Amino acid sequence: MGSVTLNNIRKSYGAVEVLHGIDLQVEDGEFTVLVGPSGCGKSTLLRAIAGLETISDGEISLDGQVINHLPPKRRDIAMVFQNYALYPHMTVAKNMGFSLRLAKESKAEIDRKVQAAADILDLAPLLERYPKQLSGGQRQRVAMGRAIVRDPEVFLFDEPLSNLDAKLRVQMRSEIKELHQRLRTTTVYVTHDQIEAMTMADKIVVMRGGHVEQTGSPLELYDRPVNVFVAGFIGSPAMNFIEAVVQGGNVLTSDGAMLGPAPESLSDGARVTAGIRPEDIILADSGAEAKVGLIEPTGAETQLTLRMQGASMVMTTRDRITLSPGDAVHIRVAEGKLRLFDIQSEAAIR
Amino acid sequence: MNTSSDRWLAYFMILPVVAAVLAFVIGPTWDVATLSLTQVVMGQERGFGTLNNFRALAADPMFALVLKNTAIWILGGTILCVMTGLAVGTFLAIDSKMTTGLRALILLPWVLPDVVTAMAWKWMLHGQVGVIGSTLQSAGLTEQQISFLGDPDLVMWTLVVVLIWRKMPLVALILCAAIRSVPNEQIEASRMDGANAFERFRFVVIPNIAFSLTAVTVISMIWITAEFALPWIMTGGGPANTSQIMSTYIYQQSFEFFSWGVASAMSVVNLVMLMVIVALYLYVNRKSWATGAAS
Ligand SMILES: Nc1ncnc2c1ncn2[C@@H]1O[C@H](COP(=O)(O)OP(=O)(O)O)[C@@H](O)[C@H]1O
Ligand SMILES: [Mg+2]
Repeated sequence: MGSVTLNNIRKSYGAVEVLHGIDLQVEDGEFTVLVGPSGCGKSTLLRAIAGLETISDGEISLDGQVINHLPPKRRDIAMVFQNYALYPHMTVAKNMGFSLRLAKESKAEIDRKVQAAADILDLAPLLERYPKQLSGGQRQRVAMGRAIVRDPEVFLFDEPLSNLDAKLRVQMRSEIKELHQRLRTTTVYVTHDQIEAMTMADKIVVMRGGHVEQTGSPLELYDRPVNVFVAGFIGSPAMNFIEAVVQGGNVLTSDGAMLGPAPESLSDGARVTAGIRPEDIILADSGAEAKVGLIEPTGAETQLTLRMQGASMVMTTRDRITLSPGDAVHIRVAEGKLRLFDIQSEAAIR
Repeated sequence: MNTSSDRWLAYFMILPVVAAVLAFVIGPTWDVATLSLTQVVMGQERGFGTLNNFRALAADPMFALVLKNTAIWILGGTILCVMTGLAVGTFLAIDSKMTTGLRALILLPWVLPDVVTAMAWKWMLHGQVGVIGSTLQSAGLTEQQISFLGDPDLVMWTLVVVLIWRKMPLVALILCAAIRSVPNEQIEASRMDGANAFERFRFVVIPNIAFSLTAVTVISMIWITAEFALPWIMTGGGPANTSQIMSTYIYQQSFEFFSWGVASAMSVVNLVMLMVIVALYLYVNRKSWATGAAS
């Protein structure tokens, strides 16, 4: 068992509060990803769970036991660091077995566990090497191996892939995911990369400025973002935002083009922020007018930058198109895909 | 291709240094080595190619005592210097306002001239007017005032204490810098792995600073071997030669008794001993400096 409950976690450095009361429930066996822009407090929160950072207020519990005041070693939590943090003077085997050695386990037992973890991670041929003799991806795996041998209740990862090149990153992403499916150990994974979050998570926690903005499954966040920030953060290319106004039960752009129906809660003349995902823009015979800017084919799909009056939007399409830059087109929003946000509070309007 | 002219230019550029090393290091060493094999009587050279100087040294009843004192001086001094340096360096590596100030202050003993240090300590340790002895006595810790430099049993270790006071600060600073450069993530990883403070120090900090530790040990040993002014001014080898060490004895033999030959023989023995100790030490620690230099 390894369910983690965070209750109103606050953390201040001197007079500056960087976590403003975080509540979070991580179920046993769940892969939870904390995502958010740099400096939003993801690492601080993760380190608080690890016990490397004290918290100013709140409660961290593991399986219902409050663990706030326990040192890291007594929390039964393992962590994988961004720079791997391998011990350079120890071989791969020694690195992986270090925690067991400190726990005074027998030599035979240590060897057995290290071997088992090495088999899982394809590290067996590298056990006698030193970290500096390994590639980035191999070091990453050793860092994971060090966590696995302990068989902890919870794994913590702090941006473990950000030092790898793009190709290796994709490969390690699926390896970590597979590892999780195999071991089913509760995992909290920090990243600033929303694609990593979307592809790996059972549950995503979007953070900004020391607050949790929204928690949910990847598709929940994608389909029903609670505010402009989450809507813009999740998804790539990002959601388009334009100012719009409600008239006669419809949402219109500032130059009067129709975007879609307005919900009944909005009265005529209400101003809103309209959010449209790139793949929800459809080329049509009539509708809002736009000029084609950039055309970027990526093979499977094509990305178009459209210039509208006072705004610019990105659309993607899987159709092969025959447009060229400067062409005039008409666009509309796919049915039911228009998202509206309050122009002041930026909260979603349902 | 002008690589060969580049190479000649390079040789030319290092020529002054090579010349200086030849003139001031190799030359005198060669001189001393040949002198040790030369018979010298009353400052006059009388024939090259004899081991008489070494025989005389071996027969000198003082030489065993000098060797023992030198062992205390060099080995005791080095080990204690590095150990206290490590302890102080570890303390200084802690982040706080106090240690930041102390890091600058601690260099004070290091920047004082040898003569000033020696005179100040000699006076503080004096048998009648020394402030240390009288403080101990008035605090009731000793019956009479101790004469630290006058007691044959204490004098050598007293010298070592002063030596450490003087040499340790730089060792502490170097080790402090080394400790502070140990990656924080490694420390945190070891905390996650369950290491307590001692285990973190033993298994993470020490291996990470092994290269610096080896370097300061060798450097301290060489400094301490070469240190002359401190013991010479404080005791001049006394009382009754009980604090005579290699450097002071060599000085006495050459410049007071003018036994150049024996003094040179002793210098050669001294040099060979030092080289053997350093070589042994480097060999034992070969792993640490090999990995440290590579990274
Ligand atoms: N030791 C520290 N002292 C003061 N401020 C800190 C410290 N560590 C982090 N912070 C601040 O806390 C905020 C959150 O940092 P962090 O958790 O590292 O963000 P993230 O991992 O999301 O990029 C940042 O504004 C950062 O400047
Ligand atoms: Mg971070």
